[in-house]
Amino acid sequence: MIAIAISGADFLREHLRARMTLAMLVVLPALFVLVSASVLGEFAKALGGSVADDSASALGAGWAAAFLAGALGFFQVASSREADRRLALAGMGAGRVAVARISASILLGLFVSAVAFGTLWLVAGIAHPAHAFVAILIFALIYIGIGTLVGSFISEPLEGSLTVAFIFLIDAFSGPGMSGGGGIAQLMPTRKAADVLIAAGAGQSSPAGDWIAVGLTTLGALLLAAGAFWFSARPRSA
Amino acid sequence: MNGRAWTATRMGFREQLRRPLLLVLLVAVPFLFISWSIAITEPTPRLITLPGGQQLLTTMKELHGAVMVPITVGFLAGLIGLFVVRSALESDRRLVLAGFSPGEAIAPRLVVLLTATLVVLAVSLAVMAISFAPASWAPFVAGNLLAGLIYGAIGALAGATIGRLGGAYLMFFLPMMDIGVAQNPMFFDGAPQGWAAALPGYGPTRVLIDSAFSQSFDATGPLLVALAWLLVLSAAVIVLLRRSLSGR
Repeated sequence: MIAIAISGADFLREHLRARMTLAMLVVLPALFVLVSASVLGEFAKALGGSVADDSASALGAGWAAAFLAGALGFFQVASSREADRRLALAGMGAGRVAVARISASILLGLFVSAVAFGTLWLVAGIAHPAHAFVAILIFALIYIGIGTLVGSFISEPLEGSLTVAFIFLIDAFSGPGMSGGGGIAQLMPTRKAADVLIAAGAGQSSPAGDWIAVGLTTLGALLLAAGAFWFSARPRSA
Repeated sequence: MNGRAWTATRMGFREQLRRPLLLVLLVAVPFLFISWSIAITEPTPRLITLPGGQQLLTTMKELHGAVMVPITVGFLAGLIGLFVVRSALESDRRLVLAGFSPGEAIAPRLVVLLTATLVVLAVSLAVMAISFAPASWAPFVAGNLLAGLIYGAIGALAGATIGRLGGAYLMFFLPMMDIGVAQNPMFFDGAPQGWAAALPGYGPTRVLIDSAFSQSFDATGPLLVALAWLLVLSAAVIVLLRRSLSGR
């Protein structure tokens, strides 16, 4: 347990050691929410959506957290594969490496979500802050799962970044409040989280069914992320 | 370009051609991003202000068609610039140690970046042309090329100064916030707000919006601004890379 905690803290430090990376994690979601808060309602209407301005601004905070978390998840796997394998071989084991990695990723996701949420609160106000924060965090956690999954199959940073962006754009454009209605939009990973976030932005609670769906999706994403970390760290036979 | 630089350029292209997924993504991302954006946008009326000051009534669908090209090209060129330069910093020092001059090592990377930008631009314009035709093609293409080159240079600078991860975060967001929101006539009152003129996407976007909806060219000022951005950013990239590769 101590080894996991120490390694998790080290992974976190490794990620935040570069000051510019830390600065980007703070500045970018804040700027995105700030710049997009006033226009996303209009954008949703242009795409045929009917989401209210406050809900669209809230959705922007979820997107900011998701996009950053997706990149974060991808680079956590893609750039640490060799080091994690050595750690596992040195006695820590792939399972504990995976738990430490997923813990660090969740903390980073929490950080990014807090920045996006805080900016949203300051810029647009939030009618249902607790639900909004949880929904934004869920966007981030789902994309940590997607990013790590991409990273476990693609190691090149350009291809991986583009794949994460590709998935994100399909998800965001087909989401509720934008163009999304039926068909493939129902299968998008953040579909239910977006429903919850839109409701929270409008000051409404979400039905229990939505929360259960969101919880299951998040759990699935985190299990996927843990699996991807384990897969990357597991020792290979020569 | 001398023999060594030419060889390095050929190797640079061969390296890219050995990455089939990258080639697929460079076509698939613009295709899906642009065609889907246009397809799902409603043709609701929209009053915009062109660079010459005249007002024009168009539709959100047409505007989205025009503006998705520089967003896509800027986004992809920025990421390509970032990772081409990271790759250069990691491996081209060896070339310099082996006898290449920094210029001979840098030039092939910049040629690869320029070519990738042109490929993305060609795909993006072809996809856009299915649904939207600009009033004046030549300046429209030039505006989009400028957006790609400016963001390619910003990506390269981010790669040289911020690092891979911070640079990736930056290039994920900056083109979206700049060209996608701040310069986008779909928002605000149909023209960029005053503060948007300070951003790198201002010049190219005003040039291409002017040429998308008007046959007369009234965006000389924004064109000069865009060229100035490109000149300054390109010089900064070359100076930084020369300094990094020569170890000073």
